[in-house]
Amino acid sequence: MKRRTVLGLLAASPAIVRSAAAQTDDWAKVVEGAKKEGKLLIYTASIGSPFHRTVITAFEKKYDIKVDLLEARASEVRERVRVEQSAGRFLGDLHHNGSTTTGMMQRDGNFQPRGFVPNVKNIEAPYEADDIKIPAEVISYCLLVNKNIVKPDDEPKSWKDLLDPRWTGKILSDDYRALGGGAVFFVVMQNTFGREFHEKLAAQKPVFARDIQNSERRTARGEFPLYLPFSLQNLNNLKGLPVKAIVPAEGRPYVRFDLSTLKNAPHPNAARLFMNHYLEPESQLVFANAGYNPVIKGVVEKTLPEIRPLLATKALGTTDYTKQDEMLALAKEIYK
Amino acid sequence: MTVAVPLEQQGAAFPRGLARYGRPAGIALLILALGFLTLYPMAMLLYGSLHSTPPGMAGEFNLDGYANLATEENFQALINTTILSVVKTVLSLALAILLAWIVARTDTPGRGVLEVLITLPFFIPPILTATAWAMLGNAQVGTINLAWRWLTGSEGTLVDVYSYGGIVWHMMQYSTPFIFLFIVDAFRAMDPSLEESSRMSGATRWQTFWRITFGLMLPVTTSAFLLSFIRGMESFESAVFFGTPVGIKVLTTQIYDLITQRAQPDYQGATALGFATLALMFLLLVVQSRVLRGRSFTTVTGKAYSPNVTRLGWMRWVTFAICVAFFVLTVALPVGQLILSSFFQFFGFYQLDMLTLDHYRSVWENRQFWGAFGNTLLLGFLGATATMVLGGIIAYITTRTTWRGRRLIDILAWLPWMMPGMVLGIGFLWGFAILPHAVPIYGTLWALLLAYVALGTPVAVRVTSGAYAQIAKDLEECSRVHGAGWWQTLGRILVALAWPAFAVGWVLIFFGIMRELSASILLYVPDTEVLSVVMLKMWNGGKPEAVSVIGLVMLVMVLIFRWVQLRFIKRRISTL
Repeated sequence: MKRRTVLGLLAASPAIVRSAAAQTDDWAKVVEGAKKEGKLLIYTASIGSPFHRTVITAFEKKYDIKVDLLEARASEVRERVRVEQSAGRFLGDLHHNGSTTTGMMQRDGNFQPRGFVPNVKNIEAPYEADDIKIPAEVISYCLLVNKNIVKPDDEPKSWKDLLDPRWTGKILSDDYRALGGGAVFFVVMQNTFGREFHEKLAAQKPVFARDIQNSERRTARGEFPLYLPFSLQNLNNLKGLPVKAIVPAEGRPYVRFDLSTLKNAPHPNAARLFMNHYLEPESQLVFANAGYNPVIKGVVEKTLPEIRPLLATKALGTTDYTKQDEMLALAKEIYK
Repeated sequence: MTVAVPLEQQGAAFPRGLARYGRPAGIALLILALGFLTLYPMAMLLYGSLHSTPPGMAGEFNLDGYANLATEENFQALINTTILSVVKTVLSLALAILLAWIVARTDTPGRGVLEVLITLPFFIPPILTATAWAMLGNAQVGTINLAWRWLTGSEGTLVDVYSYGGIVWHMMQYSTPFIFLFIVDAFRAMDPSLEESSRMSGATRWQTFWRITFGLMLPVTTSAFLLSFIRGMESFESAVFFGTPVGIKVLTTQIYDLITQRAQPDYQGATALGFATLALMFLLLVVQSRVLRGRSFTTVTGKAYSPNVTRLGWMRWVTFAICVAFFVLTVALPVGQLILSSFFQFFGFYQLDMLTLDHYRSVWENRQFWGAFGNTLLLGFLGATATMVLGGIIAYITTRTTWRGRRLIDILAWLPWMMPGMVLGIGFLWGFAILPHAVPIYGTLWALLLAYVALGTPVAVRVTSGAYAQIAKDLEECSRVHGAGWWQTLGRILVALAWPAFAVGWVLIFFGIMRELSASILLYVPDTEVLSVVMLKMWNGGKPEAVSVIGLVMLVMVLIFRWVQLRFIKRRISTL
């Protein structure tokens, strides 16, 4: 059996080598084509991210390709792409958005196949690429506690610790009944612990808010001892404030951001080259040091010591766009 | 030699040659322009409300959007919105009238400076004042409550901004100066002999104020009330910031949820809710029209007068104290918080080791900011000027002529104000994107400029029509009798007498453009980025302190603009 496998591999190896060589040749043409195109327009729902800008600047320097960013909120990016494409205006090249919106846009036919991208091979589970999109970076959610109010012994160790009566009326939370981190948290807790968890959490009377930045500051100021779900990548913005990020023992809910090529992109080669650049270890390290989970192997180990233990935690789960409305309805039912 | 003909006979003094062909052509042109600016995006939205999918997608026509409006949640949101808007508008109007009277018609000390200072909150981005008030008035660790507990030894809470009261208070920060700006020049332009006659006829000071001063201000005050009430019905920031945490829902948060907070955006539901709001607002317009119909509010006539002020004696220190109290509560507290915070690493953390100039440096070195600042200034100057010209013409036609089609023009000009901004922004996106590609609007500065003109036109029309209503028609006739042409009369009589209102309208629209986000975020492209988009990016990027620096830059600009504007007024009215 083993011999047959070895012989089979030997027989196939010239074909594999030829195929690899062809892909290398093709990739060289992609790089050359991208440089000729000289431009790239990215539509992104990651608004105001300085790390995104760092990775883009490195790309511009490396390939001498000018990158423009059109930043807007997820639904606004989606509607712009939809209406532009239906009007025959193909302006954008790449789309960078959360996996829920990306999934729905993929269903609606807003993208084109991405083609071969060499660094896709480095992607690690549970993140995966398909022939349209690649995972870009991952937002991980945890707890934010005010260190002045919550003593180390009282810090929640498990998501279930939130159900302790000591936290009644003291939890500030992103709204579970609307898209965003709150909805991701709701889905993952529902899948992990079931409805009973949410019913008990609802009895804790969490206070809902929609402005993430303000909620984090309210926690830091001591209005609330706990805020959830806290986006780990915001930790850098709070350096110096009396707050601490905690990933409970069960792991972290997460939401993936994807990159995909927009239909009839005017600069398809530059789009492909940028996808590859995004999956380079250097690019992923920029995101990882900022608090995003990287999507390729061997990056977490190289991150800054203070962020590494948080990133090295288990990925607990994420959302499924096909069930999103059902979950939002359930959240409305439980958290009235 | 020119022979003057009474206004009524010549159709509001329109040139004879133009009257035959030019007038209908001009009206048609105006209707066409307004149709494109307001009716066209509205038509796109109407399509959206009647179609199961947005434009460009396969679907079917149905009334589901409207049928689905009748939910308990929407009904509750409508009640909340109406109550909040009525309360804040009534309070703001009362306060604004009092302040306008103090500033324009009394000898209160320092009223020139106070006039500039009390309007400042209007020009600060709402998210910044909301942040400032969240720090000042939160129940747990808000500065006001901490001071209260320290002073009284109480464990209780004096104020909680996360409440109905908090929403009203935050909305009033904007509506009071807005109404004040709207009405103050009308108070100033009033002939004091009318008040003097009232007093000489035995009326008390209060009777004189109510029957004469306030009565004559009715067109301006009702316009201001309507504009402010409608804006209150469409207010979003205050409700989402202070209402969401305590479960208070309003119409705009419902619309926001329909568009952005579900897996599949429900544009049909959102646009239907937008049109339902528009229908309600339209009813209000009809009421206003009925209230004002057939009444004269002329205060500026051919008779010379000196715009004198009422001498209040010792009472002037009471009125001074009222203005100062308003200034302290609505300007000094939140703006002081913003100024202080801009020098510290974090909002609300005032430790010496956190003192920094980094936020100023980061804004100064931010190339995106400067690019957006340039674009916004350009759009602001062009947009405010074009809007005031358009608004001035529309107001002239609707208030001083009996031309056919003027009511249609008036309605068209009102439309953008009656549709919630976040819905109208989608109308512009849909409308401009599907234009033929040869029409260079989508993806250019034109798209933003046209949207801004459409959004600002209702303010321009209300401001100028309020001022026109105060100017007697005999002044125009007099000008014509003395040989002036139509354009000369328009420029030298109407515009010359109403220009303080023009100036106020211009400033309101200019800073409205600087703050506008709903349409901007949907219409900008990388080369046409504007300030509000950059501020959103900074806010989302975790830099609220840098946003407050930009807010302060805007405040400095306001101070300069208002100072220049009031200097001009001062030259014309020496008693100020």
